[in-house]
Parts: sequence; C-alpha cells; structure tokens
Amino acid sequence: MLKVTDVSLAYGAEPVLEKVSLEIAAGAFVSLVGPSGSGKTSILRAITGLQKPLAGTVTLAVDGNDVGFLFQDDALLPWRTARQNVALGLRIRNVAKDAALAEADAWLSRLGLAGLEERYPRELSGGQRKRVAIAQVLALKPKLLLMDEPFASLDAIVRARITQELVDWVERERMTVLLVTHDLEEALSASDSVYLLSQGPRAHIRSRYEVPIPRPRTLIETRKNPVFGTLLDRLWRDLADEVNPRSMQAAQ
Amino acid sequence: MKAILNRRWIRRTVALAFLAALWELAARMGLLNPLFFPAPSQIARVLVELAVDGAIWNHLEATFTAALGGLVIGLALGIALGFLAALVPLLAELLEPVMMLLNAIPRVILAPLFVIWLGIDLGSKVALAVVLVAVLIFFAVYNGIKDVDRRLVERVLTLGGGRWVLLREVYVPSVTAQVMGSLKVSVGFAFTGAVVGEFVASTRGLGYLLQFAQSTYNAALSFALILLIMAFVLILFSLSEMLERRLLRWRYR
Repeated sequence: MLKVTDVSLAYGAEPVLEKVSLEIAAGAFVSLVGPSGSGKTSILRAITGLQKPLAGTVTLAVDGNDVGFLFQDDALLPWRTARQNVALGLRIRNVAKDAALAEADAWLSRLGLAGLEERYPRELSGGQRKRVAIAQVLALKPKLLLMDEPFASLDAIVRARITQELVDWVERERMTVLLVTHDLEEALSASDSVYLLSQGPRAHIRSRYEVPIPRPRTLIETRKNPVFGTLLDRLWRDLADEVNPRSMQAAQ
Repeated sequence: MKAILNRRWIRRTVALAFLAALWELAARMGLLNPLFFPAPSQIARVLVELAVDGAIWNHLEATFTAALGGLVIGLALGIALGFLAALVPLLAELLEPVMMLLNAIPRVILAPLFVIWLGIDLGSKVALAVVLVAVLIFFAVYNGIKDVDRRLVERVLTLGGGRWVLLREVYVPSVTAQVMGSLKVSVGFAFTGAVVGEFVASTRGLGYLLQFAQSTYNAALSFALILLIMAFVLILFSLSEMLERRLLRWRYR
C-alpha cells in the first residue's frame, strides 16, 4: 500500500531524516515511534506531499484522494460549523452540497455528535473537536489513513475511548494505517508492527517490531497479553538507548 | 433600581447626564467663561437652530459623501492591494515600502497637496479619506494573508483543495476577520480625512463650519459640531459592529 524508500529530508540547512525506508502492506496498522524531534511528523508530511524530500521516493498504491491525514491539532475551520467542516472534503470532491451535508450529519451522528452539527469549533470541547476532525477524514473513506499523534492533547479517558473507536472503525473498514505517536503502549496495542526512528538529526529507522497479537483487539485487553509486556520492555530499552546512549552503556 | 443600573449603557448614560448637569450648573453659576465653555443648554440650542433653519443639511451631505466615499474606495483599494501584494511577491516589494512610509507619517499632512492637485471640491476630501483608510486596510489584509494559520492551509490541501478552495475557505474568511477588526478604526479615519480636508480648504462641510466657528470665536457652534460628528461616528461604529457580529458570528455566538 505504501513504500517509503531512502527518503532524506531537511529544513533549510538542518538535516532531519536520512535514508528512511518503511513499508506498509494493505490493511496493516503500523505505528512509528521515536524520540521527540526526531522527524516522525516529517515522514508523514513527505508522504502527503506537504514536504518535498531531498532524496528518495514515496510510492503509494492508491490515488492521493484515497489518503486521509489526521493532524495533531484538529485544524478545523473556525468559521465553519461542525457539519460544514465534515462536509468540506466531500464538497472538494464535487459531492453535491445537500448530499455532502447529509453525509456529514450521518458521520457526526456515528461519532456521537448528533445535535452538535450547527456548532462552531469554539463551541465544542477538545474531544468533540477531535471527533469532528476524525469524521472529516473518515467521511472521505480513505484507503490509507495517516495519523500524527491525533489524540495527544486529550485527557486519558477520552483519549482511550476515541482511540478504541477509531481502531474498531479501521478494523471494520480494513483501512491501512500509519500512526505517528510518542506513546509506546498506544503504538503496540493498536499496531501490527511498530517502527522505531533513531535520534535526530539525520534520523533513520532503527528497528521494526512485529506485534503477533491477533486482531480485532481491545486496547485494554491487549495490554494484558504477555507478548505486549515483552515488546514494550524491548521498545522502551531501545528508545532510551536512542535518547541517551551513554547512560545505557554505563548501566550495562 | 439596582437591576436597571446593572445595564452598562444605562450606567454610561447616567454618568454622561451627570457630567452635563454639573457643567450646566457651573456655567449658570458663572464659574465657567461662556466664551470658552458655553453651557450645554446653549450648545443644544445651537444644534436645534442648525437643524431647524436647514443650513446644516448641506454641510452634513458634503461631509458624509466625502467620508463614506473615502471609506468605500479606501476599503476596496486596501483589500485589492493587500491581496495583490500578498499573492505577487514582486508587487509586495514595490508596495510595502510605499505603504510603510505612508503609515509612518501623519497622513493628514497630505491634505494641502490634495487641494493643490484636486481643488477644494469633494475630490480632495475623498482622496484624503481614501489614503487614511486604504493604508490601514492594506496592512490588515497583507498581514492577514501572510499570517494565515498554516495548519488550516495544510488541512485544506490534504483534503484535496486547490488554490481556489484555499482562497474561498481559508484566506477570504481569515482576511475578513482582520478587515472587520479594522472597520471601526476605518470609519473614524474616513471622517478624519473628510473633516480635516474641509478644514484645510472648502466651501461646505462640517470641517468648513468648524473652521468658520473657530475664526468667529463661536465655541457653542464648535461644541455643537463636535457633538454632531461624534454622534454620527458612533452610529456608524454601531453599524460596523453589527456587520462584524453578523459576518463573524462564529466568533461571537
């Protein structure tokens, strides 16, 4: 579904990524974790074309219109109501106005926002805005969903609930997902495999971890699986090694 | 009584009435020189006389035409130039220094030049109001576009939107918010341009009447005209605020 080959990226004279390669099969849920500032978001920006790589290629097996991008911020248009925000992508794809709004209402209802259609983003809570942003992306029925720490700003309970809902939806629709997160437990509990990005600058893929826990999953139950604990321990150690290699060497 | 005084506009009106009463009392007790500070009742009498004999309407029409004409043209010019400068970098390099220069000076000093170029009729007053308004709006639009929230731009791009969608969904609403924020100041600027232009050289208008009142040491007429200008500007401020609340209801609801 998605193949990133030897992608290098820089912001001005500042190198960020060097020869990053990763591959995601159709229907797979893959996460990308790494130290803060290592360039995780930059990889997603390179995939969506928001950032042009210096070298390397991004190959998509689907049309650009089949790629959905869920941002870290909800980034809703403040001057559009919830339903208008959700309908925006559909309108861009030339869906008739009435049909787009009806579809938007259906998605808002599915995500538990019935009755809030006419509210502006500033009239919604953080969790509600995030659901609107999810509805906006899912309404386009993307085959590949890219998510950049989409729930980082939410409190733990809302975050757990929305993540589970999204995982269920992705499972049902057999979407392919690339999730960027700093939360190792979230990454392992939701994913089929996890990539670890090295410390930047010139970050690269350090290792890949397969998560052999069958899907569909309940995120809380998955965390009780012994395999999950072992993987989490490995991932923690490798990440700590990236963030502070000298202290790890001293400890060993 | 307490419930009535809880309303802000009532408290303000009461405060103003109290000040006017104090002023009237001081004037009647001979504490104020009527040559400099005529009593409010005397100012009110002048206002009534102006309205009754009909002489004021011709002057009001001249000032309003210049101010509203300058406001409309200034808004249109400022918006157009702001958009062009933000979208065409070469034009920005030409326009930005000129606008910065115009912004740095008290633009009313251009009034004598406009009289030389355009004569003492309406044109010179409209031109001054236009310059005052257009520079303000130019920066509101130019900076509004340059400082537009990049996250919204990227959001629309990843949804598949192109240039026109960006313009319609992000840039225009974002700039509208900026322009509406400057609209009230623009109304004030437009009246400043019209009145100062009339003050410098004209045969009619509130500025001309003010000049006349000054030259004849008629403080009551000066106060009456100042009150009149204040009243009209406040009415236009209210209309601007209503328009702002309507266009930016997502911000006020």
